[in-house]
Amino acid sequence: MKGRTELAVSAAVLALLALGPVLSPSIHIDVSIMSEVLAYTIAAMGVNLLLGYTGLPAFGNAAFFGLGAYGAGLSIQNWHVHVLEALLIGVLTSFAGALLIGPFLLRRRGIYFGLLAIAFGQVFYFIAYRFTDLTGGEDGMNFSRPYLGLPAWHATLDGTGFYYFTLVLFALAILAFALLVRSPFGRTLVAIRQNELRVRYLGLNSDRFIFVALLVSATLAGLGGALFGMLLNFAYPLLLDWHLSGDFVLISILGGSGTLWGPLVGSAIYVIGKDIISTITPLWQIFLGAIFVACVLLFPKGILGSLAVLLGSSRTAPPDAHEADRDAAAPAQFAAERHG
Amino acid sequence: MFEHVAPELFNGLVLGAFYAIVALGLSLIMNLTGTINMAHGSFMTLAGYLAFSMVASGTSFWFALLIAPLLTVAVGMLVERTLIRPLYKREPLYSLLLTFGLSLIAEEAFHLIWGANGVPFTPPPSLAGTIPLGFMAFPAYRLFIVAVLAVALAALALVLTKTRFGLRLRAAVQDTEMIAAMGTNTQLLYTVNFGLGIFLAGIAGVLAGGLLGLSPTTGNTLLMPAFVTVIIGGMGSLFGSIVAGILIGLTISMTTLFLPAFSEVSMYILMALVLVIRPRGLFGEEGLFG
Amino acid sequence: MAETALLEARHVSKRFGGVQAVDDVSIQVNEGTIHAVIGPNGAGKTTFFNGLSGFYIPERGQVFFRGTEITRMPNWRRIELGMSRTFQTPSIFPELTVRENVALGVLSRAGLAFRLQAPSRGKREACADRVDELLGFVNLRRLAERSVAELSHGSQRLCEIAMSLSTDPKLVLLDEPMAGLAEAETDRIVEVIRSLHARLGLTVLFVEHNMRVVLSLADRITVLERGHLLAEGGPAAIRANEAVRDAYLGKEVLEHV
Repeated sequence: MKGRTELAVSAAVLALLALGPVLSPSIHIDVSIMSEVLAYTIAAMGVNLLLGYTGLPAFGNAAFFGLGAYGAGLSIQNWHVHVLEALLIGVLTSFAGALLIGPFLLRRRGIYFGLLAIAFGQVFYFIAYRFTDLTGGEDGMNFSRPYLGLPAWHATLDGTGFYYFTLVLFALAILAFALLVRSPFGRTLVAIRQNELRVRYLGLNSDRFIFVALLVSATLAGLGGALFGMLLNFAYPLLLDWHLSGDFVLISILGGSGTLWGPLVGSAIYVIGKDIISTITPLWQIFLGAIFVACVLLFPKGILGSLAVLLGSSRTAPPDAHEADRDAAAPAQFAAERHG
Repeated sequence: MFEHVAPELFNGLVLGAFYAIVALGLSLIMNLTGTINMAHGSFMTLAGYLAFSMVASGTSFWFALLIAPLLTVAVGMLVERTLIRPLYKREPLYSLLLTFGLSLIAEEAFHLIWGANGVPFTPPPSLAGTIPLGFMAFPAYRLFIVAVLAVALAALALVLTKTRFGLRLRAAVQDTEMIAAMGTNTQLLYTVNFGLGIFLAGIAGVLAGGLLGLSPTTGNTLLMPAFVTVIIGGMGSLFGSIVAGILIGLTISMTTLFLPAFSEVSMYILMALVLVIRPRGLFGEEGLFG
Repeated sequence: MAETALLEARHVSKRFGGVQAVDDVSIQVNEGTIHAVIGPNGAGKTTFFNGLSGFYIPERGQVFFRGTEITRMPNWRRIELGMSRTFQTPSIFPELTVRENVALGVLSRAGLAFRLQAPSRGKREACADRVDELLGFVNLRRLAERSVAELSHGSQRLCEIAMSLSTDPKLVLLDEPMAGLAEAETDRIVEVIRSLHARLGLTVLFVEHNMRVVLSLADRITVLERGHLLAEGGPAAIRANEAVRDAYLGKEVLEHV
């Protein structure tokens, strides 16, 4: 998409999201569900960065999501921080987690990387499960909604207020993401996805790039997790479990891996779909699994990805059948250049 | 002190044997086609439930032990043929996601058919009680498990080394193109190989029922340890899976005894250590990036 | 030109499982020369190349580049030092355009790749000019905006050569640059290599099967056979060398060239 069109579309989407609470009663979707969509989207953006742009199977992101939730929750419960502080602490917790396990993940690529991500993520899961005194164990951890922390206004955010809080953070996150992937750093990530070996043979240490991508991915997941925890006023071990990682990967692929707005589309389908289906049947997981299977088999490019192909966003010109002959005739031009 | 530790060591061995068998099945499938079978646990659980239902309707345990895995293999080969085969030309990530999706469906399906809370799958009376051997009385069922898994392992080794199928399989892992050029039906090979992996999962599933209980998530609780086993043992090494499985089983049982808070994470710590010291795993192949 | 050794390998050996792919091979590539490595199939040429370029690490032996020991150095560091290489199958970025393919190396060389901010206008233009210059060397300016996936095999190779030049190397390793090409395309590449050598003073080390090309291009030839160093010398000497003639599918190959 051309730069200006993209900007317009993005602005439109954000404007639509801003109208969420207003539209909520008519579309029968509660504001808290909308907040959940945004929180999940931010986490899925982290997966998208690793999977869609860098080409790495990002299966550990739930661990960072959960660390964000627990980080925020623990700080609220023990230090009574206010909302921005809780958010920051949650994000920093995830960042720290990524610093810790990143070096191990860097040693490997491909599916091995994915398995390692799951495995290390599980360590955090079991810690949350086991250290009951700290985390409340299997039952999870309740905490109150933090205060705004403004000197003149001792209040907490209600449902709608929290949604707008989340929306602002989402807007910032997606702006940062867009800038990141368009930067030289981001372009190198895309190159790594296509041919990591060649990137290295151009003098670039791909490990460095991947490590930073991992940190950014974890930070996004942590941001989503902290918001989600504060939305529910609750953190529980399953937020760290790799099955949730799998859900984030599904969201990323369903929406369109490697696209900017894919995670939002995927997350909306997942969260709202789950909400609607679970009122009809407790077996919503079968539908989720079926969507996984259908998506992987039938439309792996996801919704926005398939749309991009349909609209002919690929910029390749029709192939030139006589190219080889034409190129062979080039030496004359080439000789001219040599003397030029 | 030793009497205290010995039973736990034995339990560790039993657990390790389970991990080894499940990891072997995973490895077989992974080595040939690169498929990461996230539904491996589901196949285990399926075999367990099928055996349970057979026994509940009057069949002998021994018959179920043989037939349930075979039925599961049939399901497995059908799944491979219809759902996994189209993904071979794509990156391994897709088969991982597909099988993950299948595991979600399977879990709910088990829930639907057999209930959420798990079913009591007790081993037959002939396997109850203990057998005194030397300094300790070993639980008969656990001895039985070790025996069956050892036999399965030996059978697998025989199949791989002494049969034409085994030869083709090992050759195909090295160079699929060559084998296809020599006339082997590689697609069929993939399917049968998958079935072999599932057979191992099936046996483990039936046996696990009597040891760990049988619920919709039984198989999945063995899945992650099995992956860790493959990682520690080294991708591409069947022998590594066996060694690593036993090692992990013993590690977990020993930490359960001495440091119970760390019992679940002990294998991950072990994995981290192995990766630092020897990134390719204990017996893995040297790869460029892994 | 001065006989300074740009690249030197001493007693390099590499084993894979049960096979000794490279056994005690030494080489000295002098600055400003075009040096070829030849040998029958299975001679270990590509493995040797891989040891020199950091794709593998040899178990024995040492490699020196511009006087620095690089034996265990990671591949990207070697590029920073001034080495570069192409692969038997062109190693390029299939989803990008020709221009984008070449641009990354230019950005890397300028130290601008690991950056969040886009380069300033001045730097951007300098990089774009450099990309144009590189595309000019290989005569691909016309195809700059095309996706590399659509290019003919020969053009893809030229694109890869441009990429290997984008990091300003002093030494370029070309792994079978003519493989799979028709006669006309082979001539193109030979022209490009010759011109780069003459114009930029580039030192070239290349693996090749096409004896006609080797004998016409190379200043020096190293012959490998089954992992061993068989012979080394100028084209005339190698052509006359009995052992080389025997190793290489019979004398006709060398006589009719």
